[in-house]
Amino acid sequence: MLSRRKSLLLGLTSVAAGLLVWYLLRALDLVSPELLASPGEVIAAFIDIVRNGYRDTTLTQNVAATLGRCLAGFALATVLGVPLGLWMGTSRVTAAAVNFIIQFLRPLPPLSYLVLLILWFGAGDLSKIALLFMGAFPTITTAAMAGVRQVSQQRVQAARSLGASRAQVFRYVLFPASLSMIFTGMSIALAGAFSSVVAAELMAASDGLGWMIFSASRFLRNDIIMLGIILLGLFGMALTRSLLEIDRYVIHWRGRE
Amino acid sequence: MTRLRGPWIATAASIAVLLGGWITLSWGGVVSDLFLPGPDELWDAIVDLVQEGYKNRPLWVHVADSMIRVFAGFGTGAAVGTMLGLAMGYFPTVDALCEPFVEFLRPLPQLGYLVLLIIWLGIGETSKITLLFLAALPVSAVAARNGVRNVSVARLHVARSLGANRWQIFRHVVFPSALAEIFTGARLAIGIVYGTLIAAEIIAGNDGIGWMILDAGRFLRSDYVFIGILIIGLMGVALDRLLVAIEARVVHWAGKQ
Repeated sequence: MLSRRKSLLLGLTSVAAGLLVWYLLRALDLVSPELLASPGEVIAAFIDIVRNGYRDTTLTQNVAATLGRCLAGFALATVLGVPLGLWMGTSRVTAAAVNFIIQFLRPLPPLSYLVLLILWFGAGDLSKIALLFMGAFPTITTAAMAGVRQVSQQRVQAARSLGASRAQVFRYVLFPASLSMIFTGMSIALAGAFSSVVAAELMAASDGLGWMIFSASRFLRNDIIMLGIILLGLFGMALTRSLLEIDRYVIHWRGRE
Repeated sequence: MTRLRGPWIATAASIAVLLGGWITLSWGGVVSDLFLPGPDELWDAIVDLVQEGYKNRPLWVHVADSMIRVFAGFGTGAAVGTMLGLAMGYFPTVDALCEPFVEFLRPLPQLGYLVLLIIWLGIGETSKITLLFLAALPVSAVAARNGVRNVSVARLHVARSLGANRWQIFRHVVFPSALAEIFTGARLAIGIVYGTLIAAEIIAGNDGIGWMILDAGRFLRSDYVFIGILIIGLMGVALDRLLVAIEARVVHWAGKQ
């Protein structure tokens, strides 16, 4: 294994090389300005937007709008999806009653039913949060169910033969063993919610980072598009990273079994 | 006998409740046809679509065009992503070099960079398939990398102490152990590619099932929207089943260790 410092150094080198290539592409006139804004132009756009905002919205407002919608839908899906999934994993009857609906919803592209949700709930935040919830919910539920089902039978039988009740088996064997899958499902769902929120902001919104990018594309403002993409990527990484830290703290035994 | 029948009855009951609710809502006049078409209207729309097609193209052409895009994007993205992920899992240097880019790309909303792809690659098939490729790649890479990392240390020690070289360890220990996670990653990737498909079909275009839904939504034809969602859902389930079937054959030891 590489030391933490060395791998961080390699990562930074690699990012620096990427930035250098980006800079050189424009500095050596290999790519026209219409196709790619230079790093300098993106930084200038960033400073401009922080100072003056973008078309009557401040940057903070756009970031808060995007993240707020995303987290609201995701939190709702977690709170409802984890218990349902665990229940489905332990009860075959529940799974039979609900699973086909969830497995139908899961592969559905959120954009497909966004059209319906806007028709039903209007173009406001309600339809967006419903969209994010519907996108995240099946993934989290399925992960929780799969987590319970993949627990090795030996462990369950060992616990039972040692005299554990059904509730104890669930509390001390099934639930902890399925946590790692639940967290995997949650991180996938969060990534999904984050990309759906941008889709939702394309269809109907007057703020948010997604809205900013599409609005900029209409005016061919390459620098703002790139800035928006970088910001989306950074916030996406921050979201993933924070979930990963929680994961490390809660499932400290991951990979050491 | 009761064990087998229990779950099926639950599924049937659940379907009956859903159908009952739908019929009551639409025929009872609770919800307008504009928002929720009734069973009879939906049937008429299905017959209409199958016989007449949608906007000068038979229905199966829309379906086939979408499927080709999904397979092209998913196939290339998952293949490249898995190879990259295996290399990242096995060689810490590769991991350190690639991680910043993969971690940036993975949570980045696909619709965010769609705008750039259109500017770079135009509005044809290339930008659509590139979008799907980029959607599948990081998910597959991370799954393969985690699969390699989660290989039990005991197994590696055993193989090494029995005199296996690095390639043999990879071929006979690491790769088979990582397969289960690679397949999980592939299922996630196809879900994400599927979710991105509609976004890809927003790009100009006048074919594909995603385009049909968006176009129908624009004209408030919620019956066509429903059929489109239904088709997309069924196609998604079929794709997922296919992957599960392949997984069951290839990773037949999953859950039995």
